[in-house]
Amino acid sequence: MSVKRNFSNDRTFLIDTTRCTGCRSCQVACKQWNQMKAEETTFFQGEGYQNPAHLSENTLTAVKFIDGWRYGRNEFAFYKEMCMHCNEPACVSVCPVSAFIKTPEGPVIYDAKRCIGCRFCMIACPFGIPKYQWSKGLPLVVKCSGCFSRVKEGLIPACAKACPTAITYGSRQEMINEANRRITAHPGKYMSRIYGLEEAGGTSVLYLSSVPFNELGFKKVTQRPLPSLTWAALRFVPTAFITMGGSLAFISWLTNRKERLRREKEMGEDQKASGKEDGQ
Amino acid sequence: MTAMKKIVSEIQDFHIFLRILIVLVTAGLIAAIARFTFGLGATTNLSDVYPWGLWVSFDVVTAVPLAAGAFVLGAIVHCFHIKKLEPLVRPAIVTGFLGYSLVCLGLLLDLGQPHRGWHIFAYPNLHSPMFEVALCVMSYTTVALLEFLAPVFEKFGFHLPLRFLRTLELPLIVLGAAIATLHQSTIGTFFLIAVDKLHNLWYNPILPLLFWISAVFTGMCIIIIEAVMVHRYLDQPDETELLATLARIIPWFLGIYLVLKVYALFFLSERPLFDRPGLTALFTIEMVAGIIIPLIMFLHKRIRKDSTMQLRAAGLVVMFGLVLNRFNVSMFGMIQKNQQIYYPSAIETIVTIGIIAAHILFFAVVARYFPIFEHHPEDVDYAIPDGFRRVKKPLTIGKPS
Repeated sequence: MSVKRNFSNDRTFLIDTTRCTGCRSCQVACKQWNQMKAEETTFFQGEGYQNPAHLSENTLTAVKFIDGWRYGRNEFAFYKEMCMHCNEPACVSVCPVSAFIKTPEGPVIYDAKRCIGCRFCMIACPFGIPKYQWSKGLPLVVKCSGCFSRVKEGLIPACAKACPTAITYGSRQEMINEANRRITAHPGKYMSRIYGLEEAGGTSVLYLSSVPFNELGFKKVTQRPLPSLTWAALRFVPTAFITMGGSLAFISWLTNRKERLRREKEMGEDQKASGKEDGQ
Repeated sequence: MTAMKKIVSEIQDFHIFLRILIVLVTAGLIAAIARFTFGLGATTNLSDVYPWGLWVSFDVVTAVPLAAGAFVLGAIVHCFHIKKLEPLVRPAIVTGFLGYSLVCLGLLLDLGQPHRGWHIFAYPNLHSPMFEVALCVMSYTTVALLEFLAPVFEKFGFHLPLRFLRTLELPLIVLGAAIATLHQSTIGTFFLIAVDKLHNLWYNPILPLLFWISAVFTGMCIIIIEAVMVHRYLDQPDETELLATLARIIPWFLGIYLVLKVYALFFLSERPLFDRPGLTALFTIEMVAGIIIPLIMFLHKRIRKDSTMQLRAAGLVVMFGLVLNRFNVSMFGMIQKNQQIYYPSAIETIVTIGIIAAHILFFAVVARYFPIFEHHPEDVDYAIPDGFRRVKKPLTIGKPS
């Protein structure tokens, strides 16, 4: 795609799942700030105490609860699922009407006024974040905006503000440094990996964990920026068009010319023949 | 009133099969109205897990290559001057035009905000495969409409526009083939973004190329099926000889496809390949029944010259090599392990059946009222005319109405 932007100053969430207590104040703050409808839920629809069971048109972030007997002890771990605000987002690249925008501040935002509702973003997103208003007659997509309206005004996102323990918010470079500092300071506590550092080409949400990420429900995602995958094919479009059109036009011209020459020759011979007849 | 009576008496004259199709199309229309009244969520089985279902998989991803006959045959006949195939061109163009119009309709049904379709022009995104396909499908439908207008003008005896269209004929064919190349392949590009979702058996970087090649051989197979059917059921002349010529071209494309597919599988795909028995079975059926068996069949001269065998081989390619392939890529291959299974709702199914019925019905109706078969190359001079006034041979005009 275009010239690579430097993402190190993008506003970034560092979510330390080892510090998360599962209080869900981020969920509540998100609902309040974004004025999302409440969902009627019951416990144990999803895994453990997770509630609601998954993200939906009314829930932009949710804490996943993972509990069970692991490594010889009762493990209780949490994973706040939300939009990852990729550096090079798949949703931005596939949207036919440019309804998604990667802001210079970092958050990936969605313009509901443009959306035609094709749901390509939902197919494209490697983290399964965009959700659809299936309950509506003319549905739109909903997705975490990284509280862009707050970030623009110099505030921090609602969930980060409400979180008592686990979320740190700042520039991407600072957050990476902080994450690395924690990993080196407590090598036994953390997995020596930052989820989101390389995933999908890097994201503006970084996670630290004490249990392997896949056990927490993190998806295994390619390290290539996703837009580059389609662009690898799409960039040949003008070439394909000109080559195909040009070669077919050239071939038609050749065959037509051959045909005309043949006919002219025939006609000439006809005239000669008729001329001879006239002469005799 | 009299016009209404005339229509009713015409319909009473139709074959029972066509009247059944009319019922199916009406049912589809009613289901489509229900979809707009009650919304996507209430009428379909789509969900956040399956944002794309039957309508995208069949009405768009599968229907577009099924309508590829027009551009393939147009290029073969007019650009490569294999003129004896000319009688097959018009039926193919009608199929193409109908097919694309119905694709547009299916797309509109599937959109959440169909009234905002024009946003494609207002807020274009050049990096989006969907934008590219939308533009191409719209422009190709226009090109196919212009090509389709020729028999319409002939029917009504509009000479001047007819001559104008004939001047445009070759440029339109070339333009149509170029546009079709783009969107047939770009539909494959759609699924390149679904890395880690689409199974390795189908995900590879040359998917767009494979989509284009399979559209080309499917286009030719559809022409064979159509010509055989039209001969059997619409009392048109037997074109087996011509189809044998066409059938000689198909194995080339099947062969190239097979080689590329195997190459992509072993050198360009991630591993593991055969970890899911269900998907492996689907893949095997697709490759063996849809590509390898028909390839062997089309390689035999005896089979190529036999009407029934032509139909069978072409049918295999279409059913398994194309339809199954497109469903594998856009639906089955995207299902993750332990994921709930999607099946289309009644309304989704009725709409799709309605669209298929509409295609067959409209084709039969067009064939009944417009000169799409009575058109033979000996009647028309196909060299590019030098000017409007100098058309050397008389044009074929339908019976004056």
